[in-house]
Amino acid sequence: MKQTRNVLADGTSIEDLVKVDTREVQMRALSDHEIYNLEMDRVFGHSWLLLGHETEIPNENDFVVRDMGSDSVIVARGKNGQIHVSLNVCPHRGMKVSTLDAGNTPIHKCIYHGWAFRPNGDFLASPVEKECMHGKMMSKVELGLEQARVTLYGGIIFATWDHEGPSFEEFLGDAKWYFDILFQRSDKGLEVLGPPQRFIVRANWKTAGEQSAADGFHTLTLHRWLGEVGNYAKSGEEGGADLSPEMYGVEVSSSNGHALRCIDLGRKIRKLTGLDPDELSVDQKLEALPPPGVTREMLPQLKRNLSKDQLKVLVSMPPQVGGIFPNVLFAFVYIPQADGSVLGLTLLHAYVPKGPDQLEFVNWILAEKDTPPELKEKMLRQSIQLFGTSGMVEQDDSDTWPHMTVAARGARGRKSTLKYQAVYETSKPAGWPGPGIVNEGFTKDDTQWHWWLHWHELMLAKV
Amino acid sequence: MTATQHLSSADVQQGEVVAIGSDTYNQVLGFLYREASLLDAISLKEWSALLATDLVYTVPLRQTRPMAQQAASIIRTVQHYHDDYRSIMGRVMRLTGTKSAWAEDPPSRTRRLVTNVQVSTTGVEGELAVVSYLLLTRSRFDSPDLDLISGERRDVLRYVAGELKLARREVILDQAVLGTPNLAIFL
Ligand code: FES
Ligand SMILES: [Fe+2]
Repeated sequence: MKQTRNVLADGTSIEDLVKVDTREVQMRALSDHEIYNLEMDRVFGHSWLLLGHETEIPNENDFVVRDMGSDSVIVARGKNGQIHVSLNVCPHRGMKVSTLDAGNTPIHKCIYHGWAFRPNGDFLASPVEKECMHGKMMSKVELGLEQARVTLYGGIIFATWDHEGPSFEEFLGDAKWYFDILFQRSDKGLEVLGPPQRFIVRANWKTAGEQSAADGFHTLTLHRWLGEVGNYAKSGEEGGADLSPEMYGVEVSSSNGHALRCIDLGRKIRKLTGLDPDELSVDQKLEALPPPGVTREMLPQLKRNLSKDQLKVLVSMPPQVGGIFPNVLFAFVYIPQADGSVLGLTLLHAYVPKGPDQLEFVNWILAEKDTPPELKEKMLRQSIQLFGTSGMVEQDDSDTWPHMTVAARGARGRKSTLKYQAVYETSKPAGWPGPGIVNEGFTKDDTQWHWWLHWHELMLAKV
Repeated sequence: MTATQHLSSADVQQGEVVAIGSDTYNQVLGFLYREASLLDAISLKEWSALLATDLVYTVPLRQTRPMAQQAASIIRTVQHYHDDYRSIMGRVMRLTGTKSAWAEDPPSRTRRLVTNVQVSTTGVEGELAVVSYLLLTRSRFDSPDLDLISGERRDVLRYVAGELKLARREVILDQAVLGTPNLAIFL
């Protein structure tokens, strides 16, 4: 049994898709229908998936419709403020229960034959009660919408179909220590600045997924324009178009596929203060360059919510970009401005699989709830300018992934391999206080390689 | 719904309808045609000379909402574009002044088909409210498929020293999920 479950129709074993000793991945993984279908069960059926933020549905009966892998789900706030995630498929004959993007309703009524459901997915009734059109063979309890397991983390809504699998904390594993620095640092937490941007990229979801986890190297070439005009070039931090100083830092890999790029704030702090960052205390550095969405008035919150060690990482080498397995990118970035100041931005992306050669890019723009309105406005506008649909940085990413996907369909291209052979030869920096697989120096392939290893582990069915 | 109500956008006051075929109407049409050909010819610097320096340029998100909540189908918090003159000029600079604006290098082949033009005066002397339909076709690389972007432009054009300039543009798109991988092009 094990044999056939882990072998593709043409005889290739899933084991062989990833060559562990040479750090290669067969490119057919980026285009193959069979692999895609397996992923929907084995990867998306067993991971915690990002669906949005609770501030999108602040009131009882508010809902948004989102995707978990290839399935539509209703994310709704029910009684007592609890958030429920229900499969958006009518148990009667399979109609999509909610055909909307968002709204507020105490009852989700299927327009086909009128079966009605509560925001928590409970089956309420079918029309013409005395005729009992839902039959008597199944109880009302059995006729509710299928429920996913839900958790809130810093207000972010995650859900999974795996009711027996790891808890969300276990899923984050060692990376939680770092994610807490981003998502758990303020008293009131984050909020969305509006609904997400959504657009289609004709590319396999993994082209975006593996890049998010966390390809620092591509910035140098694909986003080279950042060094050709704009504030990186003008500020002449390290002169002209050379972005490579930005590629140094600390990278955290995770056996669960999460990844964090911690990028040195030293040069920015030196520029802002004119002082040697090594001579400054944690407090002085926080004052000089508060994290995205955080004002100087809000700094006591950080000290309340984070440990001394976490603060130390936050002020010197904070996680700025990275991924949450399988299909999430986070960005907590520090953008130099024309006037010499720095503006922090906070974004989350989900790359929703829409078939082997298509993904939906979902982009949420966030700020701290306590961020003052004028600062929120600045963050919002610069986020739109640089990231997402019209973002001058991410335009180039979304134009690249489709080419990889097409290449992976070629008779020879599909047998080519993606290579992750730039291996760290360093380890943790001295005195690094955080857990996990940590390496310092110029960005390497290790975080992305661990992403693939986790993908591989999930794709190998354990039967 | 009266014609004037139909023309009303978020923040533009509508006045008298400017008759189709009148001199003013023809000048507006001439502006829109010229603008479309400059953008399609990727003459971005020339295009940017048509912009007023207090330009506001926005493209709201759309959501699928029931008939009774159509106002809520236009989202003006997070948007696809939320720009002013300075930030649009920054985008033009990236596209024209760098060697690495890969999203449009090689550039898309585009056609901006601008139709259904309705013009009215506004409360402001020398400014016109212009509503038009836009169908933008975008071809990239060797794909035979065209990306289609359709929507309604809600513009304010202003006479500056006898020339029309674009002072305000809001594009109400039809897609809740855009079918093109980015908006590295102007609408
Ligand atoms: S399919 Fe939903 S009520 Fe029949
Ligand atoms: Fe990128």
